[in-house]
Order: sequence, then structure tokens, then C-alpha cells
Amino acid sequence: MATSQNSSGPPDLDSSSPSDQSACSRSSNRSLRVAEIERRKNEAEDPFVLALKYFSDVEAGTPVTGNDDVERNLVAVERVAYSKGLPPEAISIMLEFAMSLRMGTSPCVRVLKCLIPATVVPQEAVVRAVVWLCVGKIPLSTQVLFIKWVLTMFDMIDAKDQLHSIYGFLFSFVTEENLVCVVMILLHCLRLFRVRKLLDLQSKMGRQPFLMHLLSLYKVFCPELVTLSLPSRMKAGFRNHNSQWKSALIAVQKKNSFQVTSSVSLTVRLKDKTNPRKRKHNHLEVPALSSAVNTQTNPSSSRKLVPLVQLHSFSLLLENLHHIELPAQMGSLLGSSLALQYLDCVQDESAFLRLNFWLGHALHEEFLFCSSGVSQNSEEVLQFLDRLLSSQHFLQEGFSSTEAFLYKFLNIWDGSLLRPQILGMLSNIPVVPSSCIRQLLFEPLMQLFFTSTLFFKCGLIECLNSMLLKWLTWHSVYALEDGLDISLNSHTSINMTLSGFKDSLMELVHFVGRLASVGLQIEGCHSLLLSFILDFYETVCDMFLKYGLPLVVMPPAGVFYPALFATDPVSVDRLAHIMYRYKVNLMSAKTQEKQTEQAFHISRQTYREFNHYLVVMVNCLWNSKMFQPGMGVEMEEELLVSSKVPQYWSSFDFIHHPAFLSYAVDFHHKCWPGSRNVDFNSIKHPKPWGWYLEYLYAQGFEGLKQFVQSNISRRSTAGDGQGDGLSADQR
Amino acid sequence: MERRNSMARTPLSSVVAPRRSRSKSYRRSYHSCLGAASYLSLTSGLTARRLTTSRRAPKSHSITEKVSPEQLALLVKKEWQLSYVTPLHQFRHKQLKSYSRQLQAFIVAERQQGLAVGMEGADSSFRVSFSVLQGMVETDDDAESVFVQIHSKPVFAGQEKPMRSVWSGWLACISGSPDYLRSLPEDFVCLPLFCSSGAEWLTSLVKSWFQRMFDCCFGPLEINTTNLEWLVALWTNCHSEFNIQHLKLMWTLPVVPPLEVTYTLHPQDAWELWRSIREDVQDEEKTEGGRDTMAKDGGSICIEEVMRFMQALKCHFYRHFRVDLSTGRLDQVSTALGSAKHNGKIKISNSSYMITTLMLLTECALLKMPI
Repeated sequence: MATSQNSSGPPDLDSSSPSDQSACSRSSNRSLRVAEIERRKNEAEDPFVLALKYFSDVEAGTPVTGNDDVERNLVAVERVAYSKGLPPEAISIMLEFAMSLRMGTSPCVRVLKCLIPATVVPQEAVVRAVVWLCVGKIPLSTQVLFIKWVLTMFDMIDAKDQLHSIYGFLFSFVTEENLVCVVMILLHCLRLFRVRKLLDLQSKMGRQPFLMHLLSLYKVFCPELVTLSLPSRMKAGFRNHNSQWKSALIAVQKKNSFQVTSSVSLTVRLKDKTNPRKRKHNHLEVPALSSAVNTQTNPSSSRKLVPLVQLHSFSLLLENLHHIELPAQMGSLLGSSLALQYLDCVQDESAFLRLNFWLGHALHEEFLFCSSGVSQNSEEVLQFLDRLLSSQHFLQEGFSSTEAFLYKFLNIWDGSLLRPQILGMLSNIPVVPSSCIRQLLFEPLMQLFFTSTLFFKCGLIECLNSMLLKWLTWHSVYALEDGLDISLNSHTSINMTLSGFKDSLMELVHFVGRLASVGLQIEGCHSLLLSFILDFYETVCDMFLKYGLPLVVMPPAGVFYPALFATDPVSVDRLAHIMYRYKVNLMSAKTQEKQTEQAFHISRQTYREFNHYLVVMVNCLWNSKMFQPGMGVEMEEELLVSSKVPQYWSSFDFIHHPAFLSYAVDFHHKCWPGSRNVDFNSIKHPKPWGWYLEYLYAQGFEGLKQFVQSNISRRSTAGDGQGDGLSADQR
Repeated sequence: MERRNSMARTPLSSVVAPRRSRSKSYRRSYHSCLGAASYLSLTSGLTARRLTTSRRAPKSHSITEKVSPEQLALLVKKEWQLSYVTPLHQFRHKQLKSYSRQLQAFIVAERQQGLAVGMEGADSSFRVSFSVLQGMVETDDDAESVFVQIHSKPVFAGQEKPMRSVWSGWLACISGSPDYLRSLPEDFVCLPLFCSSGAEWLTSLVKSWFQRMFDCCFGPLEINTTNLEWLVALWTNCHSEFNIQHLKLMWTLPVVPPLEVTYTLHPQDAWELWRSIREDVQDEEKTEGGRDTMAKDGGSICIEEVMRFMQALKCHFYRHFRVDLSTGRLDQVSTALGSAKHNGKIKISNSSYMITTLMLLTECALLKMPI
């Protein structure tokens, strides 16, 4: 499961890291060498290493009782085993020691009990141990213990090919009365078939749950061999682990903080029934993947169908792609990425419908119809939703049943229950037509937004940003295809036109604009919220160039001015970057419009708005001409005078702007280290002004740099060569 | 809660959207939009609009002509627990025989957990039969109703003892929304209403067998206050043709300790009140300009009349006992025609008027469909 996901992931993710590492290692080569020597020295004295050496070298027949060496060394091994887990070579040594009975049977059990692997169990060690098992000197209880250990660690054995080849040996233990139960489970894990023998055994031993389980597994793989009717729900299941080992193993793994992916998880969902608390409503239980019972035997098609359950790898999936049988319950696909991969390529309408019925039912029952509330079983809910979300991310689209569910759920959501999950699902919903976007989305969201905390506001803006990104991506990927494939269009009665898509998108952007304006007011222009809003506009300003959508929407004044007058320089810098990107997009739209002379048209109004903002920004930051008539922010002359701010018109330029004041002071100190009183006007002279700008750019204000360089030419000649009123103001 | 539940009265056609081409996601998203649009247009009205605001008054003769009396006898005089079922995938009415066998094998296997061979007698301890309730449909879009019966022999009974029915259940769709039914692909059969009666463990076995076989989901179907009120009106309306004998209503009032109110009316009184309200409403309609006169000729009942009738009953109760019933929850309604409970239990005592009741329940079940 995990491996297939990895293989499908982008390959360039970790390409940069080796070079980083090598660069890093070169620089610290010497210190590493020193550390290595130190480590070796420590190792030589490490009681654990000494203990391992002892156990690998100890001679057969050494007495145990009264032997302090054994005790001390065993304790050393146990300590490491329970704290960090044993490395593979230690497992080999200890297992060999125990199973060979070099010191008799008494330490054997103790050793077996502490064999907690840190990473993997080497296969050779297990095979060798089985060989010892066949020698037959080991007492039965110890044999059972060993097989239980193998079972518990089964997922951690590094390879299984040799184990499969000694299957025959293991099978011979089936007849051994006491061993049969555990061996059975081991055989179960190995998944090989000797059905007839088992059936004989079954008739001899009668109702033995473990036999039934093994048979039921065989039935999944070879239904034609096992013709018995088997109970569908195995109550006890295989208790395939010794809880002591399991808990020790989990503790060790937690400590080592790495997850072992269970190799069995795709095929056999061994239900962990240890949880005594039984849920009253278990809508959220993903059904087990099982082959369809209801296959309509179609005589005309002689092709043999392969149940999805039997496929374990992506390559197998590819081989059998054209004759795969869907599982009995489509909901089971949600658990496996392999199955989702298949689902993504089959395009089976009713398969999707089945999945959606199940999913919608689960969500509705859990969140809408269930009167008992969701909070008590939040753990399961969380798991379920996370699985759903990861499936949606995997398929890169939302399920329509979650969409339908969300439209209802948003109306009763309190905004805090499972917030990340709900917002995650929300960001996956496909494009909503502009005619109903208001009622379905905006109204419930607006209510939530205005009545909730700052944290929720930020989360919602982020969610809407990622929704916008997904819509834009859909557009950029599928718009072309749709244009090409006319025949396919004919059977879908309705198609959204480009203008319809643009309308929806425009609605969304305007909606976020409204939310943002009011949100900033309510929260006193909180810079965290502002940052999320600027994230959103970073997406908006590049819609034309990045996603090929001929639409440019300017931010409302309620966003623009708070960002311009923000007290933190980062916001101002990002605003400058956004304005720069707007300009680039508008310019290229303009040239394209001229070239192709066709179709799309960005309205004059947008250019006008952009120019207005640009003029305000340049006047305010560069020209020190704040509060002039015709600008966005106007005030009565008397009022400004009565405020007694000296030179109020320059109070938001690069020097006096609250976000940059500290930089100006710092710069002044660096320029004129001697002068005691700070005279900002001295920075305004052309030369220091240039230096000051360089100084600001050096602080990482890339946005400002782009903005200034693209909009302001510092030559003294006047000119307006940009066309269509894209102004280029000068100082 | 209930308000929200019933919002999606029309299925989103989004899911049904073809998803064939490579450009599926894009198109699918368009489709879901369309679905959303149609869903929107139907829910934008008042809350009352989520249910049909006007129903045909029950007619007695329609059903007995179509369905055989033996089969009708199976349905009446039993209390049914209601559930809703999502559409069944690959259900074939022609394969009922094979389903009988398979369900029987399934039940036996579940019953004999862990035993696979050497139990010759096990198979014969249960007998399952599927049958079609011929004629239990209202429109051409409805799928034929299916009746399932499980017979069993007590463990210690002798060979000669006959098997007796231990469980029965049926799936029905009576006058389901044609828009919804037509939007489903061909390999789905929509029988949204599931009624069961018998041992709980058998019910859950049957449900889980259906889930596996037809990839469907079951959920409980409650009858909310509005729907119970509809039943009150529909049943009272029958009194002119069929003596309903009594009209019994039970309320639970949210006080500590909870107060249960049983309100029994003489059928004639209820009928008089109902008739006067009908006349009132129809007079008003006429003075308003006689719109929709065809529907108001006594053949149909509208939600306004139902509301006024209930209001009048509650007023009467308040005048006598100073208890306002509108704060409580209507829990149970019963007449000689049948009884219905809030928790989704229904009993049909007389088959003559059952189609109207089943239409109402089918509608409730369809409202519960997730998509």
C-alpha cells in the first residue's frame, strides 16, 4: 500500500537532499571521523555489544545456574531490547543462541520473550530457527512460543521467499495437536494452498475456528476449491499476536518513531476485536475487501475475472487491468490505494455510484441523522475522515457524495467540530455554478465566518484558497481536452461554458474579497489573517499567466489599504509583489489581446482599478504625496492640520511608513554613524535614497524590489510609455 | 435535525453523470453543478415544501383489485420496523429463487459458526423464500415489491412438526419520485422502503446479506411529526367510507419527568372537525380566485388543511387541560386503519387504504437517500 503510493509520487522530491548531504559532510568530514573513533571506542565497552559477543561465542553445555555472566549479559540485552529494540544482527545471534539450546531450555524462553526487533527480522535467522525446530529437541511449549513470536513479527521479516519454500515443513506441524492452532495462523500469513489436506483435517477435528479462518482465506483466493459455505463474520478472528510482544513492539516503534506498514493490510483485514467497547452505530466502518458473491455468470464471456483482493502490487494490477472483478462492496476500496488507482482508470459509472451511496450513507448517518452526537467516537471519525481525505487527494477530486453531504452539513456545523477534516473536504468540492454558489456555499460559510474565532477565519480563507487553486487546476488541465473531444460532449446534456466557469470563479473571488474586508475590520487587521488573505490574492493575481484563465480580479479596498498600511513590513512587501504580478498579468493579457484580436477581453474597469491602486501606492510609498485629492484616502485639510503630524503627506513613504521606520533608523545609523539626531530628510537625497533602497532589498524585500523596478523609472525624463495608462510615476 | 435531513428531496443527478472520457473530472464537476442546481431549485421554498404539500385522498378499492388477498394478508396486522435502503446494485427480479437459496445458505452458515461439514440437518432448519408482491406498484417507474419470508423449525421439534414463519420483511417502492428513479443507471433497482418483522438477529443477518450481495446500505427510518400528522389527516379522511373507530394520538412533552399525553377522539368528532376545516379552506381558495380547482374537488388534501386540523385538536386540548401540545413531540398515531410510531414502527390493520400510507413512507425513505 505504502510502496505503491511512493512509486506514484513525484520522483524529484528528494533529489536535492543528497547533494545537500554531501556538501554538509565534506565540511564536517574531520569532526565525523573523530566521532567515529569515539563511537568505536564506546562500542568496545558497550555492555550490549559485549553481551552479543558472549552469546555468539558461548560454548554448548555451559551451566546456567550460578553463572553470573549469563545473567549480566542477558540483562544487558533485555534492556536494549525493551528500550530501543534489537538490531537485525542481534536478533540473528540471540535467536540462534536460543533455538540451538546451547545452554539448555531455561534461557531459551527468556530470550524469545525479549526478541523485539528495532527494524527488521532477518529471514535467514527465522529459517535457521525453523531448522532447529525440526531437530525436535525443543519442548512443545517453547515451540509454540517460537511460532507465536514469528507470527507477531511476521510483518517485520525482511523477505519471505525462503519462508515460502519451507512451507512444507511448517505444514507438517499441522498434524501436531498442540501446535496446530498457531501453525495454522502462520500458514495463513504465508498464504499458500493445501486445501484438501485442510479439509481432511477439518472433517477430523470438526469445528475449529482457526481452520475455518484459513479455509475462508483460501476461499477468497480459490473459490472453486473451497465449496463450503463459510460464516461471513469471524468473531474471534486470528489473535495473531501475543499482546506482550505487541505492546513492547509498539512502544519500541513509537520510540524509534517509524511506522511499520503492515503487508497484510491490503488483503486481509484482520479485525482487531480487542476493543471491548462496541459502537452502537458503526456507520464508519469500511467494509472488508471481498470478492463479489453476486457475479452474474455470463456464459458468453469466457474470460476469467480476477478479484481485486488477489492483487498485491501495482504491476499485477497492470497485468490484469482488463479483467478485474470489482469487490462486493465498493466501500472497501477506500482502504486501499491500489484499488483507488484501479477505480480511477475504469470510469465505471455504477461503480462510482455504489461507492458514493456507501460513502454518503456513512456520512449522513454519522453526522446528520445520528442524534447521539459525534463527539464520543471522535477517534474513529477522525480515522475515517482522514482516510477519505487521503483517498480524495489520491484521486485528486472530491466524491460527489461528500459534496452533497457538505452542502447540508455546513448549515448545522458549529465550525469547530473536526475543523481540519471538514475544511479539507470543502476545499475538494468541484466547481459550483454561479447561480447557486451563494445559497449552497456562501451563506452558510458567511455565518460561520463572522461568528467564529480568528483561527477559524484564517482556516476558512486558506480552505477557499486551496479550493480556488483546485478549480484553476481543473480548468488548466481539462479545458483543452474538452475542446478537442467534441463527440464526447454530445452525450453529456449540459456542459459548463468557459464563461460559466469564469462566473463561478469570479463569484468565489469576490466572496473572499468581502469576507476578507469585513474580517480584517472585525479582527483589527490582524496580521495573521492578513497573511492568509494575501496568500489568496497571490493565487488570484496570477490566474491569467499560470492557469490560462482570462480573468483578472483586483482586491477590494478593504484588503488593499490594510495591507498597504500594515505595521509589519512583510505584508507591505507581499502586497508589492502581488501588485507586480498583477501588472505582469495585465500586460501580457494586453499584448495577447492585440495579437490574436479575438475573444477575451479584460474590462477597462479592471485596468482602471489597477492603475488607481498603483498610483496610490507609488504616491504613498515613493512620492510622499499622501492624502491628495483623487486618491483613495482623502481627508479634510483642517483635520490633518489639527492632528499636528508634521509633514503628514510623507508619513507613509518608505522612510516614515510604520513598517519601515525601524529600517530607516537603522540605515541612518549606518550611513551617518556620528550624527546624534536622526534627520530622515537626508535619506531623501538621490544618492542615499538609492542606497536606502538597496539596503531594503538586501533585507529580503523582494516584492518591493520587483514593484519599484517594474513601475518606477528613476531617470529624470518624464514619459508614459507603458500604454493604456499603466502609469510609471517618477520621483 | 429533521429539517436538514429532508432537505435533499431530489437526488443530485451529479453522481449519475457519465464519467467516461478522460476529461471526466471537469465534466463531472459540471454535472455536479447541475445536480446541485436542480436540488437547489426544489429546496429553496418554505420548509413545508420539502414534503409534498398536497396528496391524493386515499381510495379504498385500488389495492385489493391488483394484489392477491393471500399476499395482502401477509402484510397486514403485523408491526413492521421501517428502514431505508439505498438502491440495490444488480438486483434481478428473475433470480429470486437463487437468492432464496443463497440467503438460506448464508443464514445457516452464520448460525453454525465454525461448522462447515458434517451437519446434514443444518441446511433444513431454515427455509427462505423470496417472492414478488405482484401489483404492489403505483406507477410504471416503481420496481415490483419483494417479499422475503424465513421459516424455521424449533430445535427440539419433531420431524412431523411443520415449519413456522419466524421472520418476514419486504422491500417496496410505491410511487417513488420519477426524477430520482429515472436518474439511476439500469443496473440499479430502487426499493427504498424496507419493512421487517421478526427476530433482531435475523433482521441484521438479512441486512448484511443484502449489503454484500447488492452493495446497498440500510438506515433507520423514523416518521417525524409532520409525517405523523399527515397520517392523522389521511386516515381521518377515510372515515366517511370506513369507520376508523377511534383516533388516538400520543405526545411526549419535554418536561421533567417526561409527560406522556394520550389523546383519543371519537371518530365522528374528528371527522366533523376535519370536514369543517376542509370546507373552510376550500371556501377560502374559491374566494381567492378559484385557482387549482381541479385539485380541490375533494380528491386531494393539502398541507394547510393538515396543519389547521392539528392546530384545532391542540387548541381543544389546551382549552381543557392547559397543556400546549405543540411544544411536544407527536409519538404515535393509531386508528382502526393502522398505527404509526415516531421510531419507525408501523402497523397496517386494513389493507384497503395502505397504498397512500406507503406512498408517504416511500417519500420519507427517498428523502433519506444520501445522493
